[in-house]
Amino acid sequence: MPLTLKLVTGRTIEQGRSMESGGKFSDIYRRAVAVAEMNPKDIEIIGIKDNVKITSVYGSIVVNVKPNNDIPPGTVFIPMGPWANLLTLPITEGTGMPTLKNIDVYVEATSEDATPLDAILRFFGVNKIHYKPAERPLSVGIKRVVYDVPCPFCGEVCDFLTIELDGEKTSRVLNACPIGHAKFMNYYRHRVLTPMIRQESNGDFMEVDLEYALDKAAEILANAKYPLIYGLSSTCVEVTELAVELAEITRGVVDNTTTLCHGPTVLAVQEVGSVRITLGMAMNLADTIVFWGCNPMNAHINHIRRIILPEGRFVKGRKERKIIVIDIRRTDTAKLADIFIQIEPGKDYELFTVLRMALRDYDIEVPSVAGVPREKIYELIEIMRTAKFGVIFFGMGLTQGGAKYKNLEEVIKLVQELNEWSKWALLPMRGHYNVTGSNHAMLWLTGYPYGVDFSRGFPKMIPGVTTTIDLLVNGDVDAALIIASDPVAHFPQKAVENLMRIPKIVVDPFWSLSASVADVLIPSAVTGVECEGTVYRLDDVPLRLKKFVEPPKGVLCDIDILSKLIDRVKKLKGLA
Amino acid sequence: MTDIIIKNGFVIDPFNNIKGELMDIGISNGRIVDPSKVRESEAIVIDAGERLVVAGGIDIHSHIAGPKVNIGRLMRPEDHYLTNVPSKLPFRRAMTGRTVPNVFAIGYKYAMMGYTLVAEPACAPLKMRHAHDELNAIPIIDKMVFVLVDSNWLALDLMAENRKDLLKIYLAWLLYATKGYALKLVDPGSDVAWMMGRPSLDLDDQVPEYNLTPKDIIRLVGEANESLNLPHTIHVHCNRLGFPGNYITTLNTMKLGKDFALRDRNSIHITHVQFTGYGGESWATLESGGEVIASELNANPYVTLDLGQVTFGEATTMTADAPFEFILYHLTRWKWANADIENETASGIVPYRYRKKSYVNTIQWAIGLEVLLLSRDPWRTLITTDHPNAGVFTDYPKIFAWIMSKSYREKTLKEVNQRALRKCILPSINREITLYELIIITRAAPAKLLGLEDTKGHLGVGADADIAIYDINPRAIDPSSEYEKILKAFQRAWCVIKEGKIVVKEREIVQTIYGKTYSVNPYTAISDDIRKEFEAYLKDRFKRYYTVSLENFVIRDYEIRKLTEVRIKPRL
Repeated sequence: MPLTLKLVTGRTIEQGRSMESGGKFSDIYRRAVAVAEMNPKDIEIIGIKDNVKITSVYGSIVVNVKPNNDIPPGTVFIPMGPWANLLTLPITEGTGMPTLKNIDVYVEATSEDATPLDAILRFFGVNKIHYKPAERPLSVGIKRVVYDVPCPFCGEVCDFLTIELDGEKTSRVLNACPIGHAKFMNYYRHRVLTPMIRQESNGDFMEVDLEYALDKAAEILANAKYPLIYGLSSTCVEVTELAVELAEITRGVVDNTTTLCHGPTVLAVQEVGSVRITLGMAMNLADTIVFWGCNPMNAHINHIRRIILPEGRFVKGRKERKIIVIDIRRTDTAKLADIFIQIEPGKDYELFTVLRMALRDYDIEVPSVAGVPREKIYELIEIMRTAKFGVIFFGMGLTQGGAKYKNLEEVIKLVQELNEWSKWALLPMRGHYNVTGSNHAMLWLTGYPYGVDFSRGFPKMIPGVTTTIDLLVNGDVDAALIIASDPVAHFPQKAVENLMRIPKIVVDPFWSLSASVADVLIPSAVTGVECEGTVYRLDDVPLRLKKFVEPPKGVLCDIDILSKLIDRVKKLKGLA
Repeated sequence: MTDIIIKNGFVIDPFNNIKGELMDIGISNGRIVDPSKVRESEAIVIDAGERLVVAGGIDIHSHIAGPKVNIGRLMRPEDHYLTNVPSKLPFRRAMTGRTVPNVFAIGYKYAMMGYTLVAEPACAPLKMRHAHDELNAIPIIDKMVFVLVDSNWLALDLMAENRKDLLKIYLAWLLYATKGYALKLVDPGSDVAWMMGRPSLDLDDQVPEYNLTPKDIIRLVGEANESLNLPHTIHVHCNRLGFPGNYITTLNTMKLGKDFALRDRNSIHITHVQFTGYGGESWATLESGGEVIASELNANPYVTLDLGQVTFGEATTMTADAPFEFILYHLTRWKWANADIENETASGIVPYRYRKKSYVNTIQWAIGLEVLLLSRDPWRTLITTDHPNAGVFTDYPKIFAWIMSKSYREKTLKEVNQRALRKCILPSINREITLYELIIITRAAPAKLLGLEDTKGHLGVGADADIAIYDINPRAIDPSSEYEKILKAFQRAWCVIKEGKIVVKEREIVQTIYGKTYSVNPYTAISDDIRKEFEAYLKDRFKRYYTVSLENFVIRDYEIRKLTEVRIKPRL
């Protein structure tokens, strides 16, 4: 019997690791993300034997099923990736954030094979896929050890890694999480090493020299009326600064991946402010820690080891800390919690509101809110009120679904009010290693954190209008420059469809899905391995990424590529 | 670089005792030279046309960069909506924002007002890299940043253990590692309490977890500052800031300067004194403490101060005094941002509007002006608005007009809260500051206080060629009655030269260049043995307290666009 369920998408450890080790065209990546996790009860009711067909308003896919007791009945979980994106809703409701969680989907059993990647790309409007990964040549020779290496993967930017090198080959990575380990061990694989442009005659890639590719890219940008510059979160802040300059010259839009992750958090800060800390505050002082709608055990793996377990100055390790996890499913983080509260998908706003009521001693008249019984709510607020120092870490669970930025406004107000009683703070668990930095750089250059438009010569940001998803869905932009990001793998299908219709310049060290469909593809060196640069940790602490290997011959760092591009565009526009 | 010669201008240069003489200024290679050495046929000749020629202005305390400012920008999108100036490429980038402007608006607007050096007065050590990233992006002006030390656990540990020598070395290292310029104390010790959820402290309260008082902290850091021979004094934001009756704490803090003065100069700088000059017992009975503070200043040669003058209108308060911002949030009930930085400090941000009709705001406005007008020494009383706390820096011309013109003051006095005026002596003050004194206050005095009098704040041979030409004739103008001219002239300089390059011409920005960042380095001159011993100690503590590694904490020279390191030899 087919059922209507709620689709939730998110990050998993396997998704991250397979992406860094095998690349997005690999079998392990497909196995990691083309899978639907469901409660065994639902599987039984629907009568699924092998595969499942999932249909939303926007599309339909067939994927494998993985039974998982931790997923509550009525919910289906698919890791973020092209498969999930065929189903997600591109509607941003004026927030710039598409709906990526709590989507109504129709689920039925099927004997069809799982949808292959090229079928999905065809659906997006891609006719030819080009994938010519190369391994960068590695010289071996002098053995050396680099200490205190900051890791360019997630917002945590662990800066205590030790890397042992044999010439340019990484032989050992110490202190990293599995994803960080995969990142450093495989940095030489799946690389783009030569610039390419797509031939108009047959749509094939042609290898060209860098100067030619840059000229071509500059031409596209200079001729565009309203180009989009997107990405920037997986490279250093210096690149964001250049991207803003480029947008100002071309009178286009510059946006970073915040638009798709913590955009709503940022909008909420614009409304009510924030109460933030750096990670060391939590380590040294926090005796109560709440993880709300985030799963650091899978997405920020070292977080627990850095913040929860160690002995801080005033808190003696895990035994003196109370861990509370609030989520819609029993995540790996929930398994190590002292208290786990399972809430109904998309009902976070209600729970925050009722917690604020309980804090003010108002009566809660209904027996349960968001699936949480009244007594539990009173108990939770009592724990919060009496904590010595509490921190709420929150994630995509709050931003990508439900009330979006209103959720965040409410949690910030809750924390502000808790400060009347005790000491509380909150921190978003940012995904990309420098998404925070990209926000900061845009702020100091333009006054706005993301989605900045220069069409009238001055910066302006209108969520739901100048944000990437809306610009693409509405077909507003007429060219795109994508830097160190993979929108084809992570945007909802309507946005990708429109992206396919405009000329695209992709600057990336690796073969991503976006790289494979680019019109001009410019290889770059890996920031944090082959290039230096400043990045900002999720708690705004700036760190300097290290360069310990020379970039491959003829491949430049993002900074140099953008500088050259700016020079050329300036010339074409007569501004040099 | 083409040489420049400025002809036919009335020069005021207090350092060189020039009081409005018609003379030529020669510029070569970014420095001021004897005009006879510039060959006129090959140089750009600027005919100043009897306008006022002075050195570039120096702002000693203005929040222009760093995490606080950026969170302020984030929190206040409404500040940017109606303040946009489109770019004029390739000469000028787009400007936006008023209380929390973008980097371009900061650099260009300061330059257009004739200011060429601005100090960002507070940043947590851990986030200094952020401050430098922003300073790197600010065009035209020279800049520097002060580092917060008052609630730093590593420093407090050393103080509590009474290891004074190691404390000095730690502070020297901190300045070197973060590329800071001076030591800043904000509500000393209070952020330690705030981080633990406790109320802020007065001068003699005990700092939680430490057997210390804020008074000890000021004395010990002051002593370290003097024996490290730093170019600036300690820069102190007093305890109890923002509380009625706090002028007593301020007086007691000012008196501390004598205890640790080692050099033949002042030893403590009290910043934005308006916020700590309140008499009375509650907001309802608030009074001005301006007169008392001015008389202490006149009697106590160890002190310098700046005003933090309220200019009325929109402001965004931002300070490392996190407990005070929490209290202010209760008054405004709108937006509040707070950020606690591990082991170091905390900060808060609250938007605020100063209204002329408000009793409290009127008293605040009067305090600043009273202090300045009653101070007998323009070399020790500087003008700031603590931008953007008490007002925006673009309001400086208003302050100039208030202090130079009794009639402009009287015009404003009619518009403000009349009940408040009864608690102030401002209406009875007749003094009017002269143009010469104003140039001391805005140029010479801050240069001297920052220890940069060799190259900044004057127009003598060898100084940096940072020059502002204002559209007033000092011999013809009567500032007292022609205050409109003062307002207009100082808002937009007629011509500004930065390091020998013309950046403002006929009141418009004509090119975008980037200035220097000053830092001090007292650490390298310390002997290797002492440094080695200290680094062993530091390594251990650092690892225990921080979530970053020591190596990644240190900011390298090449991370700063144009670093000018002032190397000094400490007197340990």
